[in-house]
Amino acid sequence: MADDAKTLVQGLRQRDPELLDRLIEQYQYRLFRYLLYITGNTERAEDFFQETWIRVLERGHQYDGKFKFESWLFTIARNLVIDWQRQKKAVSLDSMTDPEEGRGFEIVDEKAESPLDLFLQAESQERVQASLQQLSAPYREVLLLRFQEEMQLDEIARIQATPISTVKSRLYRGLEALKGLLAAGGAA
Amino acid sequence: MTNDLHARAETLIAKDRVEGISAAEHEWLSQHLRECTQCADSANAMQQALRSLRTLSVSVPRELAARTQFRVRLRAHELQAREPRWRLIWAMCGASWVAGAATAPYVWHGLEWIGHRTGMPDLLWKMGFGVWWALPAIVAAAILLMEGGERRPARTAGGGA
Repeated sequence: MADDAKTLVQGLRQRDPELLDRLIEQYQYRLFRYLLYITGNTERAEDFFQETWIRVLERGHQYDGKFKFESWLFTIARNLVIDWQRQKKAVSLDSMTDPEEGRGFEIVDEKAESPLDLFLQAESQERVQASLQQLSAPYREVLLLRFQEEMQLDEIARIQATPISTVKSRLYRGLEALKGLLAAGGAA
Repeated sequence: MTNDLHARAETLIAKDRVEGISAAEHEWLSQHLRECTQCADSANAMQQALRSLRTLSVSVPRELAARTQFRVRLRAHELQAREPRWRLIWAMCGASWVAGAATAPYVWHGLEWIGHRTGMPDLLWKMGFGVWWALPAIVAAAILLMEGGERRPARTAGGGA
């Protein structure tokens, strides 16, 4: 494992194209899914996906291997989305990251139907999707990172640049809300 | 059974998923869930919610990875093409600093002489010496700023959306 990390650090520092190709392949699903959930739009998620890897190329020398690569990758992706949100709407960062301040960057219905409808097939998935859409972005994000990405609390805290206590509280509230929404039939 | 017990069970059900619970807490919770249908239903609802969350899947657009790999390689080429230029700039700056340090006393005396010959105030020729000394740094900073300006409008994340 240590050797793998060392190889990764060295490869990123040298901008090794083969390594980057492999990483793009390896993380395409997880990164795209994460971006789709936090942007709520397929095309935008695709743009951010590409831009994230460009950043990885450019800033590869900054990755020191102390933490998991995916944490670093998701942090880059998240920061890109937040920067874009700031530029686009001139919304304060707080309003996007603090669930108490509002819904934040929720999944927006831009094509007359929910973007996730394009991806989710099964009925139960649609129900979960509908429930997730009703959650505010920070809750949705922590749930995704914790239960889909199976990340540790400290990794999530690093990605969200928040204390672990905040991550925990968002998880508790997010879980409670999701449970309630699913019990009520999701889109109720 | 008191409300406190149910509340404790609810807390532990969530805590188990979020940060884990101790063996003693786990034992207590299992016992409680065997005896309390209401809390057992709540635990099942939580289990179901998480199972649903984990089964959510998305389709990655076709060719996204290939398109990204292409863009990344293209950008890598751009960066690579700039590297020799940068090495040259740094080498020139380095040489300039060395030459500056080696000739500093002569330049000082030279400027002092010109200053006295032209009746220039001391402060002025001393400032001239400062500017001469800082010239490589000023040139390097100017190049850096120009490079930054070139890079910025290249593409904004999500700009195409």
